Amino acid sequence: MNAAVPPSLAAEAVSVTFDGLRAISGVSLTLEKGEILGLIGPNGAGKTTLVNCLSGFQLPTEGRVRLGGQDTVRWDAAAFRKAGVARTFQGGRLFRDMSVLDNVEVTGVALGLSRRAAQRKASELLDWMGIAQFAHQLAGTLPYTDERRVGIARALLMKPDFLLLDEPAAGMSDHECEQLTALIRIIRLEQGCGILLIEHNMAVVLGLCDRVHVLDGGRTLAQGRAAEVRNDRAVIDAYLGAEG
Amino acid sequence: MTEMTIRVVLVVGLYVFIGNSGILSFGHVSFMSIGAYAFVWISCCTLPALKPLYLPGLPIVLQETALPSPAGIAAAAALAGGSALVIGSILMRLSGTAASIATFSLLAGQYALFRNWTGVTGGTSSLANVPVFMNSAIGTLLAIGAVLIAWLHHQSRYGLMLRAARDEQTASKASGVNVWLVRTIAFGLSGLIMGVGGAMQAGFLGIVTVDAFYLDVTFLTLAMLIVGGSGSLSGAVVGVIALTAVTEMLRRFEVGIHLGDALLALPRGFQEVGLGIVMILVMIFRPAGIMNGRELTVGHFRLKR
Repeated sequence: MNAAVPPSLAAEAVSVTFDGLRAISGVSLTLEKGEILGLIGPNGAGKTTLVNCLSGFQLPTEGRVRLGGQDTVRWDAAAFRKAGVARTFQGGRLFRDMSVLDNVEVTGVALGLSRRAAQRKASELLDWMGIAQFAHQLAGTLPYTDERRVGIARALLMKPDFLLLDEPAAGMSDHECEQLTALIRIIRLEQGCGILLIEHNMAVVLGLCDRVHVLDGGRTLAQGRAAEVRNDRAVIDAYLGAEG
Repeated sequence: MTEMTIRVVLVVGLYVFIGNSGILSFGHVSFMSIGAYAFVWISCCTLPALKPLYLPGLPIVLQETALPSPAGIAAAAALAGGSALVIGSILMRLSGTAASIATFSLLAGQYALFRNWTGVTGGTSSLANVPVFMNSAIGTLLAIGAVLIAWLHHQSRYGLMLRAARDEQTASKASGVNVWLVRTIAFGLSGLIMGVGGAMQAGFLGIVTVDAFYLDVTFLTLAMLIVGGSGSLSGAVVGVIALTAVTEMLRRFEVGIHLGDALLALPRGFQEVGLGIVMILVMIFRPAGIMNGRELTVGHFRLKR
């Protein structure tokens, strides 16, 4: 919110333990406004758990999450959203029995707008994303890829500072991936938010991300500029190698 | 007809919470009960001497007053709504099935309390001579009022957020919704409407008994909501009309109809059996209720989902 010092969203030495099982251990990561950071790693590496920590859905067992220097220990998910950290989910998780417009509008009223104002903002956003034709359709009836776009719209309303996207391209065709890549690029350009992108599709990751953070078995395996990480021996062995 | 308006108020009261939150509540008849007794405490009785005699546990101030019915209705709404708000704020820390079971224990607990709190409620004995204010006009007016309040809540930001939490609780939190708060508000508001329903019942029969506010009316009103379709306000109203029509018809058949000299009569108890059959048929062919989640549309005026 403070224009002089752009806030950052940071995990500091975060560990999460489920009944003795370590999902992530000692992971540190900083997301700056305006950048796109890729979060990759094999299945079970702890990517979603880390995103859950960064959005208030999971309390770190050790370590902490800071937003613009503020400690977030007592924040729940709604508090993170109000502070400008929005996220999407794998598989959409739309409000199925509500219209697409209402789906997006919920964020607006939850953040304090009147219904009328929230509805106007939601309509504008749907227009901007080119999905206004679905506005009055029930969300549960949308095809898979449009569901993802509505999920992104829902997160994007009220201009969050940070956007955490959990596998937005999963199950998409190459053509749809290109559209998604273009959309994310425009979001960064016009909204200026910092985007954390969990994604398996390396074409999408390398095409979009400034930096990449690689998790494996709950630990940070590598991090750095996308091109460097791509050529990192350990990363290729653990992850990229498997894809040829 | 007058009885139906009471049921409309009750089922609409249920809809405000159950329909919008998606959490089944077995406990709302408690607030109907609280409303009925609140009405008695404030507006009973036509003979002032009755209250000190039957309800010696009541505060002296209440023993000596018998305010007109509107004050009784207002007291019913306030006490039922207030207690629903307090109880809801505790219960709504739970979700899903756990919350439903907790509402059932609320019903059982409130019933046991009122049954044994003899000095204040008269215990198991019925309180008679309650002022009768209900007629079909007043009933209709109150029913319209209940529908209007439910509609306004449905359209409000709190209704919208509540339905988001119903469809996807996790995602609603990610949208910034305070799930506990929106559920508690709806619980309190629906408790308030149930309380008015209780006062209407008391002011219709002129008699109040704890047993009238327990399992029978709980399941009848829930059946009406589910048959009509808990997904929409129209469903709540249609469910009342449909099930009232069916029970009324079956009751007439039970009494018997004359065909020439022959008297055709269904065996006693068929009313309940028939009601069960209707429910099963609706569940098979329209699992989301008669209205299937849609609202009635009248010309261009449309109750928006």
